[in-house]
Amino acid sequence: MSDGHTDGTRTRSRLPATPSGLTGVAVASLVVVALAGFVQIRYGSYDMSWATAWDALTAPAVWGHPRVLLTLLLGEPLARALGLYANTDGLATPAVVVWTLRMPRVVAAVLVGANLAVSGAVFQALTRNELASPYVLGVSGGAGLAVLLTLVFFASASLLLPFAAAVGGTLAFLLVYAIAWKRGTSPVRLVLAGVVVATVFQSLQTGLFFFLGDSAAVKTALAWITGSLTGVEWAGVRLALVPTLLVLPACALAARHLDVLLLGEDTARSLGMAVERVRFALAALAILAAATGVAVAGLVGFVGLVVPHAVRTLVGSDSRRVVLGCVFAGPALVVVADVGARLALAPLQVPVGVLTGVIGGPYFLYLMRKHDDFSTL
Amino acid sequence: MSRTTPADGPTHDADEPRDADDPNEVDGAKIHVADLELGYPGLDDPVVDTETLVIPEGEVTALVGPNGSGKSTLLKGLARHLEPDAGEVLLDGREITTYDSKEFARELGMLAQQNTAPDGLTVEELVHHGRYPHKGFLDGRTEADEAAVERAIDLAGVDHLREAELGQLSGGQRQLVWIAMALAQETDTLLLDEPTTYLDLRHQLRVMDVIRTLNEERGVTVCVVLHDITQAARFADYLVALKDGAVHDWGRPADVVSEELLAEVFGVDAAVEYGTEPVITPRRALDDADV
Repeated sequence: MSDGHTDGTRTRSRLPATPSGLTGVAVASLVVVALAGFVQIRYGSYDMSWATAWDALTAPAVWGHPRVLLTLLLGEPLARALGLYANTDGLATPAVVVWTLRMPRVVAAVLVGANLAVSGAVFQALTRNELASPYVLGVSGGAGLAVLLTLVFFASASLLLPFAAAVGGTLAFLLVYAIAWKRGTSPVRLVLAGVVVATVFQSLQTGLFFFLGDSAAVKTALAWITGSLTGVEWAGVRLALVPTLLVLPACALAARHLDVLLLGEDTARSLGMAVERVRFALAALAILAAATGVAVAGLVGFVGLVVPHAVRTLVGSDSRRVVLGCVFAGPALVVVADVGARLALAPLQVPVGVLTGVIGGPYFLYLMRKHDDFSTL
Repeated sequence: MSRTTPADGPTHDADEPRDADDPNEVDGAKIHVADLELGYPGLDDPVVDTETLVIPEGEVTALVGPNGSGKSTLLKGLARHLEPDAGEVLLDGREITTYDSKEFARELGMLAQQNTAPDGLTVEELVHHGRYPHKGFLDGRTEADEAAVERAIDLAGVDHLREAELGQLSGGQRQLVWIAMALAQETDTLLLDEPTTYLDLRHQLRVMDVIRTLNEERGVTVCVVLHDITQAARFADYLVALKDGAVHDWGRPADVVSEELLAEVFGVDAAVEYGTEPVITPRRALDDADV
């Protein structure tokens, strides 16, 4: 340790866990999302000024007509089916660009960030390890393998990819659980089984690259494995929105059980918790959140690792505060990273997963150097 | 040496609460163990294999025995942390496996020997976790919870530590705080696994005081594993001496603690005297061949 707190008493490496810590995280994150989102909306191959972007964003033609807004969000077929359809042809070009191309990407980034961060927070508590991420129980291997298999065998079925990723990730999680189960599980067994499954699946996945037909398919596969928001439309947002609205509140409500699990299995059992049942339920919730993020953007790395950790240093170890903080801070990281992914090397777009790693890695390093009690919860 | 087998029950005690109307009820037994075998996966032989064991209601019972005699394992079996290979454990005359997990945790509390919690957790937050079995899946804190937490903090004497984070506490303070958490559970029975080991003398006495008060003022049945037989003999109403996973002897400390017991169970040559309190003076460890 370099900051001189070696005087026998334990260093208080955390800021006081006050509600204001959570409020601060939420407000700062909202500001970051708003600013980065606006930059994302203004820039792109269709050139517009700040004023034009602002006008398009606040266009009365959109906000003044709820049906227009709903048609944009729900998509034409669904809006028609619900009887909410309104013609959107009357929108000015900047408004069309903002509302159909750039806005969905920002919203998708928000959803992906929130899901991955919350999922990571739950897994870090479940495994009692701050180095855990949403992918620790095999999700990445399963989702990646499923995407590759789909691309190799159903090359034309790109619409299936989100489902393949989510289902593949979930199946891998169940496989991990089955492997780890021997008269119950333990965090260590689960993590080890996760490493085994992820390693095997990732090897298979790498092997499948050689069977990919053309370089376009290779690029698609790479985008999924690295995590990318390129070309995400409202359809992607809709896909993620329903599970997000179910899973995230559920995680916040279940946080008290995470806190009890953090006291150790024996204590949790003494307190009357059905440990295995609760642990599986919480893991399933976290997997659902991870799969939701993966289905939209592929395997965006580092968000689920670094965000819960950063939030915890600001709001304390109470799981409910950590989960709520992640709901705000996760989107901040992903929206900022996606601005970089789309605009830094324009017109070339890089996968957002590259940027989350580039931003998150050094921050993680900083945390690691600063806190000596880093790896334990 | 006269042997009181557990099956005889606490015959020496006249003011023991008795339930003569119910023939299935062992007299005054809070916990009744029959033909219990407890083991761990991967081990062929059971670690605990005991015919009968009674934890009398409203008393403090100490489990003593040398290392590896199965004290902690037995306690885990009583607390449902370990599923028995055979036999039954009755709490209030009812097989413990028939309790719902939260229902069981409202009847019986168990404090393990070593406990971990996030360093940033405050004492009050930890004690509140003791209310877990009293809450539904989504319930928040109720007034009853707050009151129980107050009583627990008060009884354990950790009021001044309420806002402190666990990472800042000494080992003795931390043990009292964990006891407060178990007290907040407000169970009729409390099992404690070596609550005084590794503590300095002052905190050992504090812990024992809390347990005694809990027993006397609230009538809580306590079963405590103690490392130190002198402490157990002075402190407990009943002693259960375990050897090789079986109950070797059982009864009032004055009846149980003898030079023979120390030689047979602990492998120690010692002098035992009874004045106002039992005094055990160890002389030497016996060779393996003597035991």
